Amino acid sequence: MTAKGRWWVYVVLTAGLLAVISPFVWMLLSSVKPAGEILGTPPTWLPGHVTGEHYRSLFERLDLATYLTNSVAVAVAVTVGNMVFCSMLGYVLAKLSFRGRRLLFGLVMGMLMVPGMVTFVPLFILVSNVGLANTYSGLILPYLVQPVGVFLMRQFIGELPDELIDAARVDGAGEARIFARIVLPLCGPALATLGIITFLASWNNFLWPLVVAQTEDMYTMPVALALYSVGQNSIDYGLLLAGAVVVVVPVLLLFTFLQRHFTQGIATTGFR
Amino acid sequence: MRCRIPFVVLMTSLLAVAACGRETQTGAAPQQPSSVGEGKATGEITVWAMGGEGENLGRLAAGFERENPGATVKVTPVPWDGAHNKLASSIAAGQTPDVSLIGTTWMGEFAKTGALQPTPSSFDRAAFFPGLWATTEVGGTSYGVPWYADTRSLYYRKDLAEKAGVRPPATWDELKSFAQALKDKGGAAQGINLQAGGTGAWQTFMPFGWQAGAELVDGEGKFTLDTPRMRTALEYYTSFHRSGLSSSDRLVPGAQVADFVSGKIGAFVSGAYDRSVILKQGGPEFASKYGVVELPKGERAASFAGGGDLVVFKNARNADGAWKFIRYLSRPDVQAEWFTIQADPPAVQSAWQDPALAKDDFLQVFGRQLKVAKAPPAIPTWEQVAAVIDGGIEQAARGTASVSDVLRTMQASAASIGTGN
Repeated sequence: MTAKGRWWVYVVLTAGLLAVISPFVWMLLSSVKPAGEILGTPPTWLPGHVTGEHYRSLFERLDLATYLTNSVAVAVAVTVGNMVFCSMLGYVLAKLSFRGRRLLFGLVMGMLMVPGMVTFVPLFILVSNVGLANTYSGLILPYLVQPVGVFLMRQFIGELPDELIDAARVDGAGEARIFARIVLPLCGPALATLGIITFLASWNNFLWPLVVAQTEDMYTMPVALALYSVGQNSIDYGLLLAGAVVVVVPVLLLFTFLQRHFTQGIATTGFR
Repeated sequence: MRCRIPFVVLMTSLLAVAACGRETQTGAAPQQPSSVGEGKATGEITVWAMGGEGENLGRLAAGFERENPGATVKVTPVPWDGAHNKLASSIAAGQTPDVSLIGTTWMGEFAKTGALQPTPSSFDRAAFFPGLWATTEVGGTSYGVPWYADTRSLYYRKDLAEKAGVRPPATWDELKSFAQALKDKGGAAQGINLQAGGTGAWQTFMPFGWQAGAELVDGEGKFTLDTPRMRTALEYYTSFHRSGLSSSDRLVPGAQVADFVSGKIGAFVSGAYDRSVILKQGGPEFASKYGVVELPKGERAASFAGGGDLVVFKNARNADGAWKFIRYLSRPDVQAEWFTIQADPPAVQSAWQDPALAKDDFLQVFGRQLKVAKAPPAIPTWEQVAAVIDGGIEQAARGTASVSDVLRTMQASAASIGTGN
């Protein structure tokens, strides 16, 4: 590619980057603006007057340690669960042949097509009838295996060469060993993708934790933020933005840090 | 084609689960006290309250626990955002507390699920503002007790009005010239901001509708959205948008106050809750720069009545304690105390004579307004109909459809949604 052509690529990429990043920058800057300035028309970028009042009220009024612990516990459990179980089921659906495999895969696809809102109330009835309302299990179990993850892993594992698995089988490895020692190590990129998607979905989940939690000490961050910033007739945008920064920044840092591992994972697989 | 079988399996299992839920709901034997028992409350009383109300209710509960040493009140604060979903799901699963705060406009819907206990007859309805008590009545039966009030009056910039040489309006004609003066001589970009659509726009519009003598439903419970009086009101309301006195753009919730404080908006219609927001943004010195008056009269005086009601669920484990707690919360002195904690206007009329409220001139405007405030019909489908009205207001304010077309469509859509009875 010529230098001139590359120049255009950078312009397009910069424009794209600005479009993606500007809401975050505005969120960061506005979280230190006084309440009146956040909603002023026309909207401004730089705070005319810097204040820490929103952060102060966030740390004073909210029991952040509890909410963050709940959020992390649920998100990590859901993410690990999905990475383990979705890849197991994905392996079975992709590489093993048995009666009813198509039906099983059809079931997974069917679940993929039913909108979450349709199953929401029945799911909650089920969870509360088995006594899991207001427990971590109630928050985690329904999300432990997601059909989209199974689908993703099945597609990825399906592309791995059969020869590798057959060779291991000839060497006398059982299915569990093949899965753990051969298939899983090759799934790096897919697992990374699945991990990001599940972690973010769980971290941002609002309605399910809201409904399942029956006491304030079971609330996750998004629920607690909504509780303290949204009134019946008014919204405390300052608190909401400060809270959003606290919610988003750890995740951004985590992914910036982990990104190296993701790219490594792709580089070292050597297949595809 | 391959997907068909799993789908059927899935759907049947869903239905089975849904059916389970209904069983548990009707299975619980409801106790329905006709009067609240004598004696002290005992046992644990679980309460859901939303937002700031939930954050602070614990402080009131402390007083109740002192008077009833055998009782403990456990308050769970629930976010307003999502509260409707949480209540609906919890009712379906039978996973409800003893007491919950409910937005007044949700009463019809939740009462119709059969999950709420009728109010014991020992509650004196005359103690409450009539518009608020009406929000608890669904099909002639009351299913809760008003806790706090919300009504709408006119906020205006005192300094801009003085600059323009006008006095706050008392009639529709005066409101028009008042807004014109705030714009032309006061320097406000919008003389008045009247919500031009978006969720809840009907709460700003309907006061004008009621002032014109229009009603949302007639005596037989049929919608009456397309009447000459409603047309008068919508034409008057949107004349502010057409003549540029009010912006026909939807504002972000909360932007109204920011623009009011900065002087871009000369006046707007809102509830007492905006006082603290205004003073937070404008600082204490702003207190002398704005005032509030009752909404101007059309054929009659009227405003919107809302706020929050307290309900007891049928499968409450401690129904007796629950009603006793509600009785405590509706005592005039406790209502006044709640005002000093959360600044929620009391729903009980006599609480307004409490010194804390009586000397509050700002609040007394809302107290007078409440006497003429009206509530929308408490029907299960109200939120859907309200969305139709919100959409109609937006079309009329933007001028994308004529007022008569808008009203005709509104009436047709509302009629097809029905009153759910």
